[in-house]
Amino acid sequence: MNALGIIFSDMQDWSMTELASHRSLAAVPFGGRYRLIDFPLSNMVNSGMNKICVITRSNYRSLMEHIGSGKDWDLSRKKGGILIFPPYAMGENHGLFQGRLDALKRVLDYISSSKEKYVIMSDCDMIYNINYNDVIRYHEEKNSDITAVYIKVPVEKKCSVHKILYEFDSEGRADDVLVYPVTSGVHNVGLNTWVMNKDFLESVIYDAIARNYKDFSHDVLASKVSSLRIYGYEYDGYFAHIDSLQSYYDNSLGLLNKDNLQKLFYSKTGPIYTKTKDSSPTNYCKDANVKNSLIASGCTIEGTVENSIIFRGVRIGKNAVVKNSIIMQHGVIGENARLDSIITDTYAQVTNDRVLLGYSNCPFFIKKFSVV
Amino acid sequence: MKLAKKECVVMLLAGGQGSRLGELTKKIAKPSVPFGGKYRIIDFPLSNCVNSGLDTIGVLTQYQPLVLNSYIGDGKSWDLDRMNGGIQILPPYQRVGDSEWYSGTANAIYQNIDFIDMYDPEYVLILSGDHIYKMDYSLMINYHKEKNADCTISVIDVPLKEASRFGILSSDGDGRIVNFEEKPKKPKSTNASMGIYVFNWNKLKEYLEIDDKNHGSTKDFGKDVIPLMLNKGEKLYSYEFKGYWKDVGTIDSLWQANMDLLGDSGFDLSGNWVIYSRHAERPPQYISGNSSVKNSIVSEGAVIFGTVENSIIFSGVNIGEGAVVRDSVVMADVEIKENSVINNSIIDEAVVIGPNLKIGTPKDANYGITVIPRESVINNMQEV
Repeated sequence: MNALGIIFSDMQDWSMTELASHRSLAAVPFGGRYRLIDFPLSNMVNSGMNKICVITRSNYRSLMEHIGSGKDWDLSRKKGGILIFPPYAMGENHGLFQGRLDALKRVLDYISSSKEKYVIMSDCDMIYNINYNDVIRYHEEKNSDITAVYIKVPVEKKCSVHKILYEFDSEGRADDVLVYPVTSGVHNVGLNTWVMNKDFLESVIYDAIARNYKDFSHDVLASKVSSLRIYGYEYDGYFAHIDSLQSYYDNSLGLLNKDNLQKLFYSKTGPIYTKTKDSSPTNYCKDANVKNSLIASGCTIEGTVENSIIFRGVRIGKNAVVKNSIIMQHGVIGENARLDSIITDTYAQVTNDRVLLGYSNCPFFIKKFSVV
Repeated sequence: MKLAKKECVVMLLAGGQGSRLGELTKKIAKPSVPFGGKYRIIDFPLSNCVNSGLDTIGVLTQYQPLVLNSYIGDGKSWDLDRMNGGIQILPPYQRVGDSEWYSGTANAIYQNIDFIDMYDPEYVLILSGDHIYKMDYSLMINYHKEKNADCTISVIDVPLKEASRFGILSSDGDGRIVNFEEKPKKPKSTNASMGIYVFNWNKLKEYLEIDDKNHGSTKDFGKDVIPLMLNKGEKLYSYEFKGYWKDVGTIDSLWQANMDLLGDSGFDLSGNWVIYSRHAERPPQYISGNSSVKNSIVSEGAVIFGTVENSIIFSGVNIGEGAVVRDSVVMADVEIKENSVINNSIIDEAVVIGPNLKIGTPKDANYGITVIPRESVINNMQEV
């Protein structure tokens, strides 16, 4: 496919303070064995794209460790492949970028020197499974400047403030764009994914330099909605927006719904790729009692697990009971411990006999490396 | 052609048919038989090599190599995509004069003398692709150097009643081999050869050439080359291996080795000695609200709605509502539909069973292991 991929690793990390405090949003673990960036990356790879750059802002160590050479996504290539752009420390564009346009400005050389006809930009806070070839076809058909991928779903006030909403005329052309509004009801919610011709994106960046625009959503999408041809491509598959600890929790447990599982992991667009870990298969001991849960490899389960997501290499001790919880990789739950509605970050340890209870609308979070 | 010199080149014999595995090796070579939920047998010697710091491996293939070839690929799953060395598949090839299939284990190495010479090694490690074990070969090579040996054979203590299945050797107090018999009727000891040999390359080359000119020879290490070296008074030493080691050449032993992962055999797949493998990208396993999974190993991408006990479940297996799997090995992408009952069986890859069928007999009935060949679709009992 003739498109360059640009992934923004942490455009929205302000909204996920617990999980993204020490790591880039893109590196937040999700779904038992993935990191959030695996979803946009796999979408691009499954669509046949093989030149992708990741623009990071801060705390990108775990992200770089995750991506490595890119070979797990088939992106360790002589031509193209994956490239990570950390911020520069010196020169004209040093320091952290202050918005999407500012970030693009800093990689203008890379974009200009790319030979691809199209550019697909995506963030890491939305999880979905799409084939971008369909979007590009629609983009061509409508002869649009910008094609925004959206989904029609109900929104609530507390999460609408983290979303971009579009309104379209009968032709599908956007006639209004609301950036982070306070509203509710059924809306066309943007998936923070846009398709543009590369030449057009360059002209947008030049314009941004000339007028000192920093923010793509406000300065381009919202304020130029009448002069630009912005079209919406409707997506209707699996969708999750991770914009808070609560939504992280709800969407994680939402994977236990068979329909969601099917749509996200077994759709026609292809599998979700992630870093290979070579962990052994999971061992269910004689007294293991596992119900309605998603379990990754490399675990040893001696206790009870219900309605939970268990990441790679977790150990659940004898008579421990884990319910409605998310245990990230290498977590250790001691004997007789009881957990309900808990999220433990990676390498957390809950010692024997501890009782930790959150509630479904207020899950309790245990930090990375902590010992309870 | 000369490449960067390597101290030791590994030659992995992977061309055997493994006829005692019957249907399981009808379409694939024995080293590519699946094992332990997500592995194939060859992952064990390959991972042992990589973990022992050996990075130059020739894999000798002959029988049904297609699955094995594509499985190995460029070797990156075992970190064997190297600038110098790495993994290379070595089928027999045509040459000026005589061209022939590999006619025995020694002949397979003989035909690849040029390959080994490219790396100008001091030692050659010969391995076979039909054993499940974790072993640090570097310790054996060190032992070989210490003893200043010409050949070192790794041995393991086996029960006397099984000894006649193996090459049996006797050594003096220093470990020097004084007697070697391939599959003896009356074994003199219980020290069985594990089919793992370290040779000084120059010495081995010399004997391969002698053996090749001997028309009565079966061109086999155990039957011909080792006895010949012993007769000529070369320094052959035995290296004692203590640990789990299982020959998986038969249906029963393959089933048992899988079951050993569940018991207290002391062998498990986790730990620092990682067994690497190549596998398709799969989501985590899903265990439903009505299912029960006990004393079992389950791999990625499995979706379980039924009951699983004392079993090994590979990647992508689907077990339907009400289905029961007991004491069985269920390989990748098998679908067991609702209310089918599987007992004491090995179900090969991509089989579809059911609904409402019974496969195999309960373990206690002692009727042996039922094997369902790969890609079969079983809809009614007549086909079983």
